[in-house]
Amino acid sequence: MLIIALSVELTGIHPTRLELLRLRRRKKMAEGIVDILKKDLDALTVTLFEFLKEIPSLRGQIHEVCNEAYGLFVEAEMIAGSKIEEISLVSQSIDFDVDIDERSGILGISLPTFQLTDGSASNLRPRFSLIDTPAKLDESALKTEVALTHAVKLAEIEASMREILDVISVKKRQINRIQYKILPQLDASIRYIELILEETERQDAIRVRVLQRKRKERALRSN
Amino acid sequence: MSAWKYKSLTSKVIVRKLRLIKQEDMADLAGRSLQDILPVLKRTPYQTEISEIPVEQRNSVSLEKAFLKNLIRTYRGIMRDSPKDIALLLSAVLMKFEANNVKAILRAKNAELDVGEALKFITPTERLDEIRCQQILHDCKNIRDVVESLSDFEYRPALEEALREYEKTGVFLILEIALDKYVYGKIWRAARKLRGLDGKIARMVLGIEIDSINVKVILRCKAMGIGEDQTRRCLMVVSEVFGEKEWEDALRAADIKSSIEYLMAAARLASARDYGYILTDLQKGYAASPVLSRLETILDRGLLKTSLKMVKRYTPYYNIGLILAFLNLKWFEVKNLTAVTRGVEAGIAPEKIRKLLILPG
Repeated sequence: MLIIALSVELTGIHPTRLELLRLRRRKKMAEGIVDILKKDLDALTVTLFEFLKEIPSLRGQIHEVCNEAYGLFVEAEMIAGSKIEEISLVSQSIDFDVDIDERSGILGISLPTFQLTDGSASNLRPRFSLIDTPAKLDESALKTEVALTHAVKLAEIEASMREILDVISVKKRQINRIQYKILPQLDASIRYIELILEETERQDAIRVRVLQRKRKERALRSN
Repeated sequence: MSAWKYKSLTSKVIVRKLRLIKQEDMADLAGRSLQDILPVLKRTPYQTEISEIPVEQRNSVSLEKAFLKNLIRTYRGIMRDSPKDIALLLSAVLMKFEANNVKAILRAKNAELDVGEALKFITPTERLDEIRCQQILHDCKNIRDVVESLSDFEYRPALEEALREYEKTGVFLILEIALDKYVYGKIWRAARKLRGLDGKIARMVLGIEIDSINVKVILRCKAMGIGEDQTRRCLMVVSEVFGEKEWEDALRAADIKSSIEYLMAAARLASARDYGYILTDLQKGYAASPVLSRLETILDRGLLKTSLKMVKRYTPYYNIGLILAFLNLKWFEVKNLTAVTRGVEAGIAPEKIRKLLILPG
């Protein structure tokens, strides 16, 4: 199949020296592109691993902050008793939202940025009775917000990694295409032209020798 | 002031005070399991209320209710033996627990809880016993109905006014603030009615209690970035030491530290020594660690210390000091027992539980 494909593609090639030079230039350029793509791939892989390194620490932080928030919540329950459960019936909920934006990352790739925003007016008035609840409840709520911020950051990193993985796979496909399709094609074309040119040279040489021989015979005959 | 009116009350309060759980015993309870705590509690005045709970339902929630029931029973017992003016003050203080039931009913109605679920949050008081609460919860369809059903309660007008605003804005907190302001206002008015040394002690102890709440509100609002207008609405401006101007200054202060400093300066100006001691502790506490929950503990401990100081400063036998000190000790005992049972049930380390206890020493 490959031979047929190559032979089909070789049919359009002009076996000239000019074409040979052009193909050699293209090959050199393709090899240069492969080098650049490989360097890009390396840089992307390094960035990917940097992101990857952040994940366990972020997960650890989320776990730690959630534990602290839960501990503070239990302490609030210890101080205020069942009032906490009772107050939760009427406390205003916070409408959290995530602002999604883009930033220019490595190699100019646009990476997503997630920002946790508090969309409610909770900052303007207390969300629950301050007389019936202890400050531990606020501390627990603040820790929960920190945990949410970390979770959003984790989501941002995972989204960025997905983006980088997409680019890596594109780059890999480009490298493969050049290495395993374009370069072999160029090599085949170059070899084809070289063969044709060698063949032409051989034929020319034979033709020259035949003509020289004929010229000599004609000269002998005339003498 | 007639010392004679305390002839039987003081001795009864002293007996009750002797039956309070000792500090070291309370700390020791924090290191036990719930199963080990129950036999200890059965040797205390809480025995009656605990024995009413079926064995399989004895957990931190039911125990908390038992502690509160016992506290209310103690209040009522002291009220029975008290002269009229003291009984009036104690009935005003007891209104805090009644108001808690009103709040629980309003909250349950707002969340559309069924009667059984809502009753979980009710601690029966004289006028708002379980049957009355059940009836209100059953008959009322919404918050307006609840407010209207409280026609025989003096805080209905205050609630009605807040209800109009609640219906416009939908902010439930308005109702809670109205109720708290009414109850603490009533307590303060009752304290002001007392004359002589009784009045002085009552105004000092109850004033510190109300102002501690105000300080907590200001500090928390400052920490959470809540606007001045909203904070102002939560304040209960009643005491003799801090007037509107002082609270306003504390409210407008740049940060928590400045708020405490403003209040300290005001206390110094008013020659309120006991306020000064608490605020100095608060300032030191904030400098050591700016954690609000720590400051709340300092304020609570300050109230307890002041109550006990009143007993030491004036003779313990012929004034209200001992009664208020005992009731505050009892209140914090209930809070400590709640913390211990909740903490033990949640598997919290004993040292952590002990840190949350409000002990005077």
